[in-house]
Amino acid sequence: MLGGDIRQMGKNRRKIQIVILLGVLLLGGYAIGKALFVSDDGLPKRGEAPPDFALLSSDGQPHRLADYEGKALVINFWGTFCPPCVVETPEFQRQYEKWQGQGKPFEIIGINLSEDDLTVSNFVRKYGLTYDILRDKRNKIETLYGVRSYPTTFFIKPDGTIMDIYVGGMTEKDIDERVMKLLQS
Amino acid sequence: MLSFENTKCECGHQNPVGTVLCESCGKPLEASEAASDMPLEMRYDGVARRSQKSNPTIIDRVWNFFSSVKIAVRIIIITLLAAIVGTIFTQENAFVSFDPATYYEEKYGWIGKWYYKLGLSNTYESWWFIGLLVMIGTSLVICSLDRVLPLYRALSKQQIRKHLQFINRQKTVYSAELKNDPEAWIGQMEEQLKRKRYRVHRDGTALLAEKARFSRWGPYINHIGLIVFLLAVLLRTIPSWSMDNYVSVPEGEIVQIPKTNYFIKNEKFTVDYYKDEELPEELKGTNRAKLYETKAVLYTCSENCDDPLLEPKLEEVKQHDILVNHPLSYQGLKVYQFGYDDTPKLKAVKPVLIDKETGQTYGPFDLTMRDPELNYKLGPYTLELKTKYMDFVIDSAGEPGTQSREPNAPAFIFLLKGPDLPEGGVPYMYFPKQNDKVRFSQDAINGDIGKRFEIKVPKMEDVTFAAVVSTLNVRVDKAMPYIWVGAGISMFGLLLGSYWQHRRIWLRVDNGRVSLGAHTNKNNYGMRAEVAAVLHKTGIDVEPKSLDNGGNKS
Repeated sequence: MLGGDIRQMGKNRRKIQIVILLGVLLLGGYAIGKALFVSDDGLPKRGEAPPDFALLSSDGQPHRLADYEGKALVINFWGTFCPPCVVETPEFQRQYEKWQGQGKPFEIIGINLSEDDLTVSNFVRKYGLTYDILRDKRNKIETLYGVRSYPTTFFIKPDGTIMDIYVGGMTEKDIDERVMKLLQS
Repeated sequence: MLSFENTKCECGHQNPVGTVLCESCGKPLEASEAASDMPLEMRYDGVARRSQKSNPTIIDRVWNFFSSVKIAVRIIIITLLAAIVGTIFTQENAFVSFDPATYYEEKYGWIGKWYYKLGLSNTYESWWFIGLLVMIGTSLVICSLDRVLPLYRALSKQQIRKHLQFINRQKTVYSAELKNDPEAWIGQMEEQLKRKRYRVHRDGTALLAEKARFSRWGPYINHIGLIVFLLAVLLRTIPSWSMDNYVSVPEGEIVQIPKTNYFIKNEKFTVDYYKDEELPEELKGTNRAKLYETKAVLYTCSENCDDPLLEPKLEEVKQHDILVNHPLSYQGLKVYQFGYDDTPKLKAVKPVLIDKETGQTYGPFDLTMRDPELNYKLGPYTLELKTKYMDFVIDSAGEPGTQSREPNAPAFIFLLKGPDLPEGGVPYMYFPKQNDKVRFSQDAINGDIGKRFEIKVPKMEDVTFAAVVSTLNVRVDKAMPYIWVGAGISMFGLLLGSYWQHRRIWLRVDNGRVSLGAHTNKNNYGMRAEVAAVLHKTGIDVEPKSLDNGGNKS
C-alpha cells in the first residue's frame, strides 16, 4: 500500500514537472524569440507591408499608398540638401521613362523631406521630373518609415510587400537591377 | 535494481533517496553525517530534495539542473556581470535618433566598436540576457518547489520524540540528571515555554516546542514575488502594454503622439537658468537649467487622425504643466519633460528695399524663411523670389546649394524689376543674417545692382525667431501595477524571513536524565539565551554560553 502511494505520488510529480517545464519553454521561448526576431522599433522591414500614407503632391493632388496597389513601386525619400539625392535623381527619371515607355505597371514616388514649395518646384523643373513628387510636411512619413539617413529608397513589390530598402545614393545599375526584380515578382 | 540504496531508518521509517536526517526520528542517515560528531546539517530539516532519483531521465536531468542552488547562484552571477557590462556605455535605446553603427566607434574608439559588435549596446534587450532571466525564473520556480514541498511536509508532521543523536547534535544542547520528578518538571517546562509563546507538543516524557514557523516560508514568498515581477516584465513586451516615444513640439503647436490617438499641444515653454552667483566656481558662465516647464494640453482625436489631407477632430482631455519629474498623466499615458532646443532659429524678417542713390526706402515686406511669398510689391519696384536656400553653401562643384533643411544660413535670390531697370529684371541675392552676408560676400555677388540697391532689416524688432521646441518623452507602462505587486510580495517574504526566527526545542527524559536540543535558522545566541531563561524558571541555572555545542557561525 505504501508502495502504491509512492508510485501515485511519482506520477503526479512527473505531471507537474512536465507542466512546469512546458510553461517555461512557452513563456521563455516567447520572451527569447521576441528578443531574437522582433525589434520593437515598429519600423518597416523587408517582407512587410510599408506603412500607409496620404500626402499631397506638388500640384496639390492627394496621393495615398493604396492608389499604387498592384504596381511595382519605388519610394524615394530625398531632399535638395542631400548631395547624393541630387545625384541619383536623374537616374530615377530615366528609369521611370524607360519602364513607363514599355507600358510596365511601374511607378516612382519621390517623397520630399519637408522642404518648401519653391525649393521643390525649382528642383522638379531643373531636372524635368515627371514622376509623382509628394510633400511630407513636418517629417511625419519620414519618421513613420524610419528614414535616418538620406536618401533612402524602398522597393515595393506588386503584392504590396517591401522587397528591399536601400540607404544611400544609388547608381543606375543599382536601381535597374532592383526594378527588374520587382517587375518579375 | 542496479544499485539499491538502503534508505530505511532503524525506527522503521522508509525515507526517499537523498535524505540526510530520518524524516521521522531525526537520526543521521547519510554516511558522512552519521560518522561525524559535529552539529547536524539541519538545512531543510534534512529531508531529501524532491526530485532526487537513483536513475534520472532527461526530464529529471533538466529538472535537477535548475533545482541546484549552486547552478542558480552561477546564473545570477553571470546575469549580474552582464548587467554591469551593460552600464559601461550608454545603451542604444537612450537615444532619440542616431546611428549606432558609427556612434560607439567615434565616441569610444575600438572598445566602443567591439562593444557595439558584441551587441552590448543593447544588452538588456538581447536574446541571451533575456535567456538568462528566463533561466533565473525557471530556477526560482524549480528550486523553490523542490524544497518548499518536502520542507512543508517535514514540518507539518514532526515526530515529538527524536533520536538521541539528533537532540545531542543540535547547536544548542543541554544534558543533565534531573533532581525532581520528570513528569512534573516537563509540565513546568511546558508552561514556561508557552509563556514564551511556543507551541508545545508532548508525548509522555518527550516534548517539542516550536515558534514562528511561518518565517520559514519567507524565502518562498519572496520567490513568488520575484516570479510575478519577472512575468510582469514579460508582459511589457506585448505591444500595447508599453510604449516609449519622443515628440518635439514647438511652442504654440499641436503634434500627434506617434502611433496613438493622442495629440499634444505645447502652449508655453519656459526655461530658467541658474544665475552665475548660484553656481559653483567650476560651472560659472555656463547655462544650467534651473527649471524647465511645458504648459501642455492633451487631446484625443476622434476623426481624421492619420490623414494629413483632413483636419483631425480633437477633443481636449487634460491640461498639465509638465516639469521634470512631474509628468502629465492620463489613463496610463505619461508625458515627461525630456529636453528642449532654444537655439535661435530665424523664422521671418521684415526688410526694406533702399535706393542708395535717392535715399528712398520701400517696404517693409514680410519674408518668412519657410514657404515665403513669391512676389512682393514695393512702391514702383517688384521683387520676384526665384530661388532660396535654407543653409547656403557652395558645394564641391562650385554650385550654390543647401546643406540642411534648417534655416541656419538662409539665402534668397530675387528678381528686382522697376523703373530704369532692364526689362527682364536684375537678380539680387539677399542674406538676412549679417554674418552670412559678409561670409558669402553678398555685395560682390550682387555687383553693380548692389551698389544702387540694398535689402536690409532696419531694426532688431523686425526679426522673428522660431519658437522654442520642447522635447517630450511619452510612455505607457501597463505592466507597472503588476511589477509593484510582485515587488510587494517579494518584500513581504523578505520581512517574514528576516525579522522572525523559526525556533524549536526538543527534549526527552530517559531514566531521569534529560537531553535537550534546540534549533533555530538564525540567531543561535538568542536561542541559547531563551533556553537558559526557560531552564532558569524551572530551577536549573545554566550560563547561556555553556549550552553552545560549537559549530556556530551566528
